[in-house]
Amino acid sequence: MAKDMTLLWGSGSPPCWRVMIALEEKGLQGYNSKQLSFEKGEHKGKDVLAINPRGQLPAFKHGNITLNESYGACLYLEEQFKNQGNKLTPENKAEVALMYQRMFEGLSLFDKIKQSLFYDRFVPENERHDSAKKRNAEGLKDEIKIWEGYMQTTGPYLAGKSFSLADVIVFPVVAFLFRFGLNEEHFPKLAAYHNTVKDRPSVKNTWPSNWKDSPGMDTLKNL
Amino acid sequence: MAKSMYLLWGSGSCPCWRVMITLEEKKLQGYKQKLLSFEKEEHKSKEVLEINPRGQLPSFKHGDDIINESTGACLYLENQFKSQGNKLIPDSPAEQALMYQRMMEGLTLYEKLNLVAFYDFYAPEGERHDSALKRNKDNLVTELQLWERYLENVAAGRYLAGGFSLADVVVFPSLAYAFRYGLSAGRYPKLAKYYSLLKDRPSIKATWPPKWFQIEQRSESLKDI
Repeated sequence: MAKDMTLLWGSGSPPCWRVMIALEEKGLQGYNSKQLSFEKGEHKGKDVLAINPRGQLPAFKHGNITLNESYGACLYLEEQFKNQGNKLTPENKAEVALMYQRMFEGLSLFDKIKQSLFYDRFVPENERHDSAKKRNAEGLKDEIKIWEGYMQTTGPYLAGKSFSLADVIVFPVVAFLFRFGLNEEHFPKLAAYHNTVKDRPSVKNTWPSNWKDSPGMDTLKNL
Repeated sequence: MAKSMYLLWGSGSCPCWRVMITLEEKKLQGYKQKLLSFEKEEHKSKEVLEINPRGQLPSFKHGDDIINESTGACLYLENQFKSQGNKLIPDSPAEQALMYQRMMEGLTLYEKLNLVAFYDFYAPEGERHDSALKRNKDNLVTELQLWERYLENVAAGRYLAGGFSLADVVVFPSLAYAFRYGLSAGRYPKLAKYYSLLKDRPSIKATWPPKWFQIEQRSESLKDI
């Protein structure tokens, strides 16, 4: 099964990491794994475009099936491999509802990170405004506070008692925040969540390799 | 079942429309609902904030459970009510994968449409640039051409992932919105065919937006795309 799967991925990319965590959780280790470099523009290379015309990573194949949207790949793997590995969908109705809610709220969190931390990457020089940077930074801070609030009333995982697709989807984004220096003292509940999940085997086994070799940034230290 | 559901919605909002289509498809008519006005800022009212602290619509409750994220709510409803109404997630691996792929790509399509039709919402006065709007328009054209390709063989019963599915639930509202805001059917014939095939589907017809947001000022926003 796993041998029929191929994943093209880039290190540190939350969308790629999600799929890698899902594959580990469902006991699908042994898939064909190809690491590419964003810096070298390899995500726009022929290999990727053959699977993903959008020239984006992750690019994922299962036999003749292609699934490049990370949420889609995670949902597909959970559904198709329901009876193997760990169950990523809670039994309890309240937890399932919360799982879907947090999964899709994860899009807001990642968007706000991109708009603030990667402002210069996405906005050409002549279109940049301090007012926008400031607004985006405030937006990111408010968004992170929302998630800190969630972890004050739920735990240990995003949907409650069980590790679920919500964590598969959102943990890589939370890890990204701490990689960029988010202060554990300012956001203790998120820090606790981060510390709980980072040692989970599926997460540990797929931890971005370049994160192990180098210190993170301190961009968010004062947030 | 439906009686324990409560939907707060706004007219012309694609995310709201997705949830409403799903409720119809799953035979959950009879849910409690309240139409709110974006123009009057009712999406920031206390009633909404109590369910959705983000002050956004849709806001949706099923008993005590809240799911305000539209795609999440649609997935939740399909999974909780699998055995009633229409099946919206195909079983076959190939169709299912394609459905999830197109469903999520539908969110990208929606974003790119908004970045043109509602550019001024994203960029306050003083931060707007012709170069940015042009880039957004070019990106939208590229995006729409992708969807023209995806719908190359569109026919009755042959939608985004075969039979009508959650991919269509997510994407159809965005295309209806695009045509309403001036998108040319001539330039996008496959999209236009998809639109005409689905516009009379009962779940879609029953939930068609009573009106579109700021349509008077924006009905031609996408005319040149």
